[in-house]
Amino acid sequence: MRACFGCAQIAIAAVAWWFVGSAAVAQTPISFRFNDPEAPQMRQALNVFEQLNPGIKVDMQRVTWADAQQQYLREAAVGAAPDVAQLAQVWPRAFGAAGALRPVDDLIEKTNIGVAGWDQYIARDMQQGADGKTYAIPFTVDTFAMVYNKALLKAAGYDEFPKTWQDLRAASLAVRRKTGKTGFGFPAGSCGTPAIWFFLNFYWWSKGWALIDKGPDGKFFINISADQIAEGFDYYDQFLKDGDNPKSNLSICLWGAPEIVEDMVKGEAAIASVPDAVGVQIVNTFKQRFPDKQVPFAAATHPADVNGSKTFFGGRSLGISANSKHVDEAWQLIRFLSQPDPTFTRFYTNYVQPQKPILNYDRLPAEIAPGFTEQIKLARTWGPYGLGPVAIPFMWNAVGRAAGSVFIGEKSSKDAASELREAIAKELAKNQH
Amino acid sequence: MKGQRRFIVTMLTPAFFFLVCFYLYPTVFNVANSLTDLSLFGLRCGGDWIGVANYIDLVTSPDFRRVLWNTVIWLTAIGVTVRLLAGLGLAFLLTSRTIRKYRLETIGRVLLLVPWATPPIVAILIWRWMLDTRVGIINALLTGLGIVDQPIPFLASAAWVWPALITIITWNTLPLVTLTFVASLQSLPSELVEAAEVDGATRLQVMRYIYIPHLKPAIIVMGLMSTFWTFNNFVYVWLTTGAGPGLYTNVMATEVYIKAFIDGRLGYSSAVGVLMAAIMAGFGLIYLRVIAQRELRESF
Repeated sequence: MRACFGCAQIAIAAVAWWFVGSAAVAQTPISFRFNDPEAPQMRQALNVFEQLNPGIKVDMQRVTWADAQQQYLREAAVGAAPDVAQLAQVWPRAFGAAGALRPVDDLIEKTNIGVAGWDQYIARDMQQGADGKTYAIPFTVDTFAMVYNKALLKAAGYDEFPKTWQDLRAASLAVRRKTGKTGFGFPAGSCGTPAIWFFLNFYWWSKGWALIDKGPDGKFFINISADQIAEGFDYYDQFLKDGDNPKSNLSICLWGAPEIVEDMVKGEAAIASVPDAVGVQIVNTFKQRFPDKQVPFAAATHPADVNGSKTFFGGRSLGISANSKHVDEAWQLIRFLSQPDPTFTRFYTNYVQPQKPILNYDRLPAEIAPGFTEQIKLARTWGPYGLGPVAIPFMWNAVGRAAGSVFIGEKSSKDAASELREAIAKELAKNQH
Repeated sequence: MKGQRRFIVTMLTPAFFFLVCFYLYPTVFNVANSLTDLSLFGLRCGGDWIGVANYIDLVTSPDFRRVLWNTVIWLTAIGVTVRLLAGLGLAFLLTSRTIRKYRLETIGRVLLLVPWATPPIVAILIWRWMLDTRVGIINALLTGLGIVDQPIPFLASAAWVWPALITIITWNTLPLVTLTFVASLQSLPSELVEAAEVDGATRLQVMRYIYIPHLKPAIIVMGLMSTFWTFNNFVYVWLTTGAGPGLYTNVMATEVYIKAFIDGRLGYSSAVGVLMAAIMAGFGLIYLRVIAQRELRESF
C-alpha cells in the first residue's frame, strides 16, 4: 500500500513536471539587447509584453553604448547577434551594408507599424541602406536644448535666454563675473564619443556649414573650411580660457555626466546643453532634493545664426539581426514597443517617440517642455553625415580629439582644424565611389 | 631509442598544439589581416589584399611620431626608469638596519603588497578619484595648504597628465620590482659589506662596488620584463585618460583600439599590432645580446 502511494506521488510529480516542461518548451525565447540606463523600466515593459504574448520569452541583454557597436558587429559576423537590438539612429545604414541586420520592408508591408503607420515616422532616411531597403524602426527621438537657471541669468542681467552665439558668450561671462558661478558649463573632455562633437556641429550648422554635405550631383563634399572649423574651436575655447567654463570640465566627456547634472541642481552652473532625458533628470533631482523650493529652470533653443538654430534628431532604433531564427516574434516585440502604451506611458517615460502624431514633449516637466518642443521643430537629421561615405564614429572621435588638443593648448586652432579637415578629406576620397 | 623518441614527441604534442593554436596561428592571422583593408563593417566578407599600404599609412600619418614618442619615451623609458629607481630605493629601505632594528620588515612588506593586490581597474578608479579636480583629496590638500590657488586638472592638463599616469602605473606595479630587488639584496653576504666598511669604504663606494654589481642580474631581468609589460600597456592609459586629453596620451596600444573599434579599421590596427611586436622583438634581441649577455657573463 505504502509502495503504491509512493509510486502515485512520483507519477503525479512526473506528469506535473511534464506539463510545466511542455509549457516552457512551447515558449519561443528571443533576445533583446537594450543599452539605455532605464533597464528596470524596460524589463517591466517586457514583462507586460510576455503576459500579452505567453508564447514568447524575452531575454534582455545589456552592453554599454561605448561597446555596443563593435560588440554587435562582431557577434553578427559569426551569427550570434541578439534577435532584436537597440541601435543608435545612425547605425542601421552601415549595419545593413555589413549584413548584420535583416531588412524589414516585408514586415512593414504585412502589418504596418506605429500609431499611424510607417509614413508617419520621422528620420526614416537614416534607417535605409544604400540598397534602399529599410533596416530598422526608429524607437525614440531626442534632441539637445539649452537648460538654464533663470535666477542666475537674471542676476547676471539677462531676463531672457541669449539668442545669438555672441550673446551666449557674453551672458556666460556675466554670470561668472557677477555671481561667481559657472556660466555655460559644458563637457570639454576627449574620448571616443565626446559631447563637444554635438556643440561644435550646432555652431557650424547654425552658420550653414557642415563637415559633410551632399551636392546636387549626388556626391558628398566637405562644406566647411579649415578657418571655419577653427572658429568653432576658438568659440568654445574662450569659455575655458576666461574661466566661465571651469577647467575641471576638461575631465568630463559625456553630455549627461553626473558633474553637469549636479552643477545645475546645486546652482553652481547657469547653463547646460543637454538632451531631454538629462533635462528631466536635472528638474526631477532638484524637485526631490528641494521640495520646498521653486524650480528655477527653463529650456530654450540653441543660439541662432544665418541658418537659424540647429540641433539634430538623435535617438534610438530597433533592428532585427540578420541571423535571427525568430523573425515573427522579434517583429511582434518591435511593434509592441512602438506603441505608446504601456512602454512610454508607464515605464520608459523620459523618452519621446519619433512618430508625427505623438511627437511632443507633453510628458516632460512643464518647466522645460516648451523649450524642447521649440528646439525639436528646428532639428535636422544627421543626413549626409549618416548617409555619406565618412563614418560618424570616425568624425566624432576625430573632432573630439582635435578640439581637446586645442583646449589643452597642445595645438593652435588653425593647426588642429587643418589636420582634422585633411583627415576627413582623406577618408572621403577613399570611400566615395 | 626509437621508442624514447616517440614518447618525447607524444609528450610534447599537447604543448605544441597549444603553441600553434594560441600563439602561432593568431600571429600569422594578424599579419595576414594587416595586409588587407579588413573593416569592422566588412567582417562577413573579409578584407581585400592591399599589401603594405597599412604600414605606409601608419608611418606617414601625422600622429605616428607622437604615438611612438608617447609609447617609447613617456610610457616605457621614463615609466620603467622611475619604477626601477623607486623599486631600488624601497628595497634598500626595507632591508636597511633601521627597519630591522625596529622590526618593521613584516609590516613594510605587507604594506608593499597592498598596491600589488589591488586590481588595475580598482587602482585606476581610486587614483582618478584622488586626482579629480573637484572632489579629489590631492587637490583639496594642495588648495587647503595654500600651495595652489586653483585645483589642478591632473588628468586633463598637458603639463600633468603624463606624470599622473606614470604615478598610477608605478604605484600598482612597484611591489614586484621591489620584492625582486629585496630577494637579491638578501642573498648578498653581509660580510662583504662589513669588510668594505672596515676597509674604510664610504657608503657611495659600498653602493657602487658591492650592491649595484650584485643587483645587476636582477636589474637586467626586471628592466627587460618591465619594458615588455609597459610598452604593450593598454588598460592603464585607456581607463585613466582614454588616450586624451585630445590624443596627448595616445600610445600604440590605445591606437590599436581606436583604429579597430572606433574607426573600424581592423587591417590598419593589425598593422599597428605587428609593428609593436616587431619593435619589442628587436628590443629584446638587442637587449639580451648586447647588454644582458655581457653583464651576466661579468656577474658569473
